[in-house]
Amino acid sequence: MIARAGAGPRALPGWVWRWGALLAALALWEAAGQATAGRFLIAGPSEIADYLWTNAGLVGRALAVTLQAATAGFLLGNLAAMALACVALLVPRMAWLISALALLVFCLPLVATGPILRVLYGAGTGPQITLAALAVYYTTYLPLLVGLRAAPASWFDLVHTYGQGRMAELLRIRIHAAVPYLVSGLQIAAPAAFLGAMVGEFTGAERGMGVLTIRAIGALDVPGTWALATVASGVSIMSYLALGALGRRLGTHPRDLLLAPPQATRRPPAARRALGRLGRAVGLIIVVLLLWQGLMEGFGLNPFFAKRPADVWAFLVTVPEAAANRALLLGAFAQTMVLAVPGYLAGLALGAMLAAGVVLVPGLGAAVLPVAIALRSVPIVTTAPLLVLALGRGATGTITIVAVMIFFPTLVACLTGLRQTPGQVMDLFATYAAPRRQRLLLAQVPAMLPAFFAAARMAVPAALLAATTAEWLATGIGMGSLMALTASTSSYAMLWAAIVLLASTAMLAYAGVELLERRVLRVYASEQRQP
Amino acid sequence: MLPDALPPPDVCCLGLAKTFGSGPTATEALRPLDLTFAAGQTTALLGPSGCGKSTLLRLVAGLEAPSAGHVTIGGNSPAQVCARAGLAMAFQDASLLPWRTVRGNIALALTLARQPADPALVERLIALVGLDGFGDRRPAELSGGMRQRVAIARCLAAEPRLLLLDEPFGAVDELTRLRLNFDLPRLWEKRGTTTILVTHSVTEAVLLSDRVLVFSPRPASVVADIAVSLPRPRNRDVMATPAFRDLVDQASAALWAGSLAGPLAAE
Repeated sequence: MIARAGAGPRALPGWVWRWGALLAALALWEAAGQATAGRFLIAGPSEIADYLWTNAGLVGRALAVTLQAATAGFLLGNLAAMALACVALLVPRMAWLISALALLVFCLPLVATGPILRVLYGAGTGPQITLAALAVYYTTYLPLLVGLRAAPASWFDLVHTYGQGRMAELLRIRIHAAVPYLVSGLQIAAPAAFLGAMVGEFTGAERGMGVLTIRAIGALDVPGTWALATVASGVSIMSYLALGALGRRLGTHPRDLLLAPPQATRRPPAARRALGRLGRAVGLIIVVLLLWQGLMEGFGLNPFFAKRPADVWAFLVTVPEAAANRALLLGAFAQTMVLAVPGYLAGLALGAMLAAGVVLVPGLGAAVLPVAIALRSVPIVTTAPLLVLALGRGATGTITIVAVMIFFPTLVACLTGLRQTPGQVMDLFATYAAPRRQRLLLAQVPAMLPAFFAAARMAVPAALLAATTAEWLATGIGMGSLMALTASTSSYAMLWAAIVLLASTAMLAYAGVELLERRVLRVYASEQRQP
Repeated sequence: MLPDALPPPDVCCLGLAKTFGSGPTATEALRPLDLTFAAGQTTALLGPSGCGKSTLLRLVAGLEAPSAGHVTIGGNSPAQVCARAGLAMAFQDASLLPWRTVRGNIALALTLARQPADPALVERLIALVGLDGFGDRRPAELSGGMRQRVAIARCLAAEPRLLLLDEPFGAVDELTRLRLNFDLPRLWEKRGTTTILVTHSVTEAVLLSDRVLVFSPRPASVVADIAVSLPRPRNRDVMATPAFRDLVDQASAALWAGSLAGPLAAE
């Protein structure tokens, strides 16, 4: 530790901050509930407890249904993720394609895939389980792939000097090196599975937490909405903590932060890199179109709702109403982007700024981090109705939902990043008695940038998910509303066109942020890159 | 450069002790120690790994608070000296900021020392450590030896009167290390600084210093205090003299004898 003669207040122990903050938050919440009583805004802890007490049976049964679907989706999604990661590892040439396809499926808007899955499966829990699986596999796949590669080259050389091959590499080294990454992936996956199952239930299930939530919003049942959101958050936080505890029993420290997977050390010239990127993009588009068509034909899906690439092309380009279709689609897209982009930027900025502010107070950073990590796992979208209740159906509500959705992951990533400033660099600043502000600006914030960009990359699909869900559940404008509307009026060509547009937007934005991230990493984390 | 060049300070440690942790897991890194480092001298602290010599250096730099006793630098506390940028420390790894160029890393010391930017001084320092033409490179593009030279240049930028070098050449290959050992002392000898150098190379200790303090294993105590009065500049010719070899033998013997008193001897 660094001795700071006469510098600032004494650091309080972490638990004082944590419990103090928790009690203060509860008291504030209750007070807010009392103050706004009768205005259909906020239900305090006492009202929530009352609701849960009187409706214990109802909520309990719904929770059991949703948990069952979420667990099934969690298992299926993670098995798929592990299989995908192993394939990507064993066939390195295909790794980029597998990763890109995995990302694409992750970027599909749940709001549109939900209704389509509903018509595919009919009644039952099929859509919930599928959406839960879709919500988790990417957040497991990505860390797992990084983890499987995160061992120093000398360890593999050791295996090779005994004449062993790739299988021994995998069994003796890679699997062990990947465990902490897998645990952190699973930790994020557990709340995501719950979120996926709830969104699946929004699309017309008979039972479950999602159904109750939709009903409570419809009936302007404020205590009910709050109670359900609280239960959903509690379950998510608990699943997160339980998996973390499991990871610690396994003797690992989950990685709170994942930078972009490193690329080849020898970089080809810029022109060839750009060409390679273009080639991959074209290859990806061809593969996606083939897969799309192939899956539809292979399963013999009804062309009425299972549209093919040609149908979407016709809908947007060749039919007589194509211009009107495009105008409707792009109009809704613009409405969504106008809200999603400011929300995305605001969430990132607030997360980074709060993280930077928190480290200025001694002891506070270490205390805030676990709270932020726990809150990161709250499925914000399930609390979207509350924010809409509080902020209204205008632009502010949607922007806030997007911002809140992104805020916590960013805060966690930035706090972790700030802590990664090398100790000797901080010592250097101490030998000049540099003030805290200077340490922050010259050493800690630059050291935080890689983490910030990693968060910004993962936040892209999250921002679109949050915006469209808010539009669907509450505001009635934009892509979310358009998709919900077209699903209920059976204009499936528009729905598929919306999926194509949103997924490609998410992919492009993700790729753009990743490009930025790699540039930043080259300069700002050149010494602390993972092998 | 500062107009009013201050004389180099002496460093006094009085009853200086450091214990990490408390209770049964407490580790005594440094037994109460009385030491004086004369103004303008270079002193090498030589000892086995983990004996507490780095802790001593960090106590002098004010990076650790002593458990007992105190350090004065020219009569002032380390915190006062740090606040005036009166000391500079070189770390085991070069600790350059990877996002700053060589020039930016050296200039950083001036910023931190609250001194005006001085591009000409930075260029002179780059030339002094033999890195002409590398001013715009980032640390990742440099070899280990080059990075250490940047770190030394950064140390010198704010004209400190006390230099604390914590195994600055530990991560550098033997040949580069020898060259740095020959070249770099000239940079601070001319300026009149008090220098404390931590190393576990006997040759390096004798080659660089006016005085070698040999430490026992943890908790550190001084087992030998050897004056080194070899001519400067020290180069390969000096290394070839019997006097040099005598001193190296003397320090090695003390290091060995000291280690026998430590916990390894029980085995």
